[in-house]
Amino acid sequence: MLNVSPTSRAYETLPGLNDITIPALAPLPTGETEDTKRIVERFGEDIIAAGEHDGQQVIYVQPDNLVDLMQFLKSDPKLAYEAMIDATAVDRSKLPIGNTERFHMVYQMRSYQRKKHLMVLSPAPGGDDPVMPSLSPVFQAAIWPEREVYDLMGVKFTGHPDLRRILMPEHWPYHPLRKNIPVGGEEVPFSMTFDDQEFETLGKQILPSNSVAPTLPPGMSRQNMILNMGPHHPSTHGVLRLVVELDGETVVNIDPDLGYLHSGFEKMGETKRYKDFVYYTDRMDYLSSMNNNYGYVLTVEKMLGITIPERAQVIRVIMSELQRLASHLFWLSTHVLDVSGPGMSLLMYATRERERILDLFEMVCGARLTTSYIRVGGVWRDVPPSFMSNLQDLVKMLPKQFDEYEHMLTSGPLWRERLEGVGYLSREDAIDMGMTGPMLRGSGVDWDLRRDMPYGGYENYDFKVPVSQAGDCYARYLNRMEEMRQSVRIIEQAMANLPDGLYRTDERKVSLPPRAELDVSMEALIHHFKLMTEGFRVNPGMYYHGIEASKGELGYYIYSDGSGVPHRLHVRGPSFNNLYAISKMSKGEMLSDIITNIGTIDIVLGEVDR
Amino acid sequence: MGLEEKLPEGVLTTSLESLVNWGRQNSTWPLLFGLACCAMEMIATGTARHDIARYGSELFRASPRQADLLIVSGRVSNKMAPVIKRIHDQMSEPKWVIAMGICASAGGPFNNYAIIQGVDKILPVDVYVPGCPPRPEALLYALDKLREKQGKETFAHYRQLAANDAIIKPENIESLDNMRAKQFA
Repeated sequence: MLNVSPTSRAYETLPGLNDITIPALAPLPTGETEDTKRIVERFGEDIIAAGEHDGQQVIYVQPDNLVDLMQFLKSDPKLAYEAMIDATAVDRSKLPIGNTERFHMVYQMRSYQRKKHLMVLSPAPGGDDPVMPSLSPVFQAAIWPEREVYDLMGVKFTGHPDLRRILMPEHWPYHPLRKNIPVGGEEVPFSMTFDDQEFETLGKQILPSNSVAPTLPPGMSRQNMILNMGPHHPSTHGVLRLVVELDGETVVNIDPDLGYLHSGFEKMGETKRYKDFVYYTDRMDYLSSMNNNYGYVLTVEKMLGITIPERAQVIRVIMSELQRLASHLFWLSTHVLDVSGPGMSLLMYATRERERILDLFEMVCGARLTTSYIRVGGVWRDVPPSFMSNLQDLVKMLPKQFDEYEHMLTSGPLWRERLEGVGYLSREDAIDMGMTGPMLRGSGVDWDLRRDMPYGGYENYDFKVPVSQAGDCYARYLNRMEEMRQSVRIIEQAMANLPDGLYRTDERKVSLPPRAELDVSMEALIHHFKLMTEGFRVNPGMYYHGIEASKGELGYYIYSDGSGVPHRLHVRGPSFNNLYAISKMSKGEMLSDIITNIGTIDIVLGEVDR
Repeated sequence: MGLEEKLPEGVLTTSLESLVNWGRQNSTWPLLFGLACCAMEMIATGTARHDIARYGSELFRASPRQADLLIVSGRVSNKMAPVIKRIHDQMSEPKWVIAMGICASAGGPFNNYAIIQGVDKILPVDVYVPGCPPRPEALLYALDKLREKQGKETFAHYRQLAANDAIIKPENIESLDNMRAKQFA
């Protein structure tokens, strides 16, 4: 056995955090809704439990009926759950619950027509070697998430077309997200001499990498040319590797190889207290860290059931929209650089504006990229007095700049020629593949979480959601440009309506007392100590919350056992699901169109690989 | 005194070593290679405000064979490590490595199964830049530090390196006399 995780990390679990006496079974849903009633009528005994939990619709179903249920959810006109947003699994072996299956599968379903969300759960039979029916015949969106579950949890899927590891290397010995596998990593030696045994494990984490003949991905033929793109390639936006089968210059097949930036976020999340994981979320989609903070914090607040002061909500909206602008500007600059046209000059212009947004972030939290500004209970600090005037200047200047960019791009023939008709994705495919964000709206689905399932006060703002029917790269480009203009509008409205008041909740169980209070109040000191050592506890249960990040729906699924650290934390990264479309979009097109398609999907590998 | 007196005005003398080092210091071409968050700051360093062109390093080369400097900008996963090692091997001498950010330097917040705790476990690193991610100014400071180091390099150092990398070490080369003696024995 390879020595990949030589140490058990005893110091990670402080006493009192993982209190085993807490009844850890997530409470069963109660009551019934219109949808669950209909499902129970149809399936009867095979539904283990159905109903609502904290405002979320939940269905527990027997695995034998899972595929039938999904077919029913998709095809029944009164339910119309046409998209699978996410699939993941939970390992419950360390919970004191006995007599249930160790692994449970969790699916997030979405109805765009009816604006509804549904969580479907199903136990995976087979104990330590679980086997589930694959949902890939029903939803294409299930193919990659199921591969991920197989890779990280070891759940096998019958009927899956391509069950290989997706993130970890082929020869990796474990399924790392299982609870009996330690976090791994290395002990930090506190010794002063190298003779000490503490140094023994240093450097042993690296796997021996023997030279192996590259295996041909399934479905490819050596009759054609096989081309390897990446992981070190200037236009793959990070460490993405694509195996491309080419007939002349025409793309026959693409197999993306992920995981070159897999950093174990989900495993780290299971060892960190709720308030400490905010800092990790920054590093996932590092181009929109504010949105990452926002999504995570909203999920935790949903679990806590606390309300946030009005001022904090408006500040959050401003930050979230600024981050969307920064992310879209960066998308534009790199996309144009890849596809050519006015290439380098537009990169310089767009990053110039982006730097001004980063200056504003620096003003409020001191960091440019990894902000960690939005915290549980509000935001870290109030915005400084000069922030508003600077923001005013920026907001006034930006629309003119957008016009200039559009003029630079649309007036030349090259940009349109490279984008129009390239990377076509039909409406049906976009929904079936679980696309979100600009990818979905570019294919004619009128859906934006900010408008259709509002969170954080977005229902108070007036903005348009750009949708286009064309489904090609040019449509997505136009959509994103319009989205930037709408973001500016939202910021303007938020600035006009920024109320006075608290920037952080005064619920002392979750948010730190101000420094001045510590000097005079013993109670504040105790709260401070408790928060800093133990963190706060949340209610047991499972929660999913999605927000509209710049790249699509960013969702967090958290299974809480009632203690101070999540039992399972799963991130639904929009880039991961959107990237699945690359093979569909590029098949039959030219090799150079792959670059256009990568640019238009707008991936960030930190989020794809997590 | 010396040669300088005889030379006409406008002609300088220097050692060949300093001339070569001067050239290397002022046109260190980095590899176009980004890993994670730090890569975004690396790009920001390359754009108009921070302008890495002042250091002669604006030409990010996409091929390792044309690059002098490998900026490891981000966390190195177990799957990526062999790739980075190979890229570094493909770069021709002289080459330098900057470990940008805490992840590349020592693993950073990712002390887990997936991430290698510091790229120096697989590559020789010249300059470490702390920060998560380091600001563009920090990367420029690292380039300053690298220039200092480049200015002190000698040809003897490279001869030594070449000797260390040689398949047959100098001391193992059989002397001509020995070979003759064997031949006629």
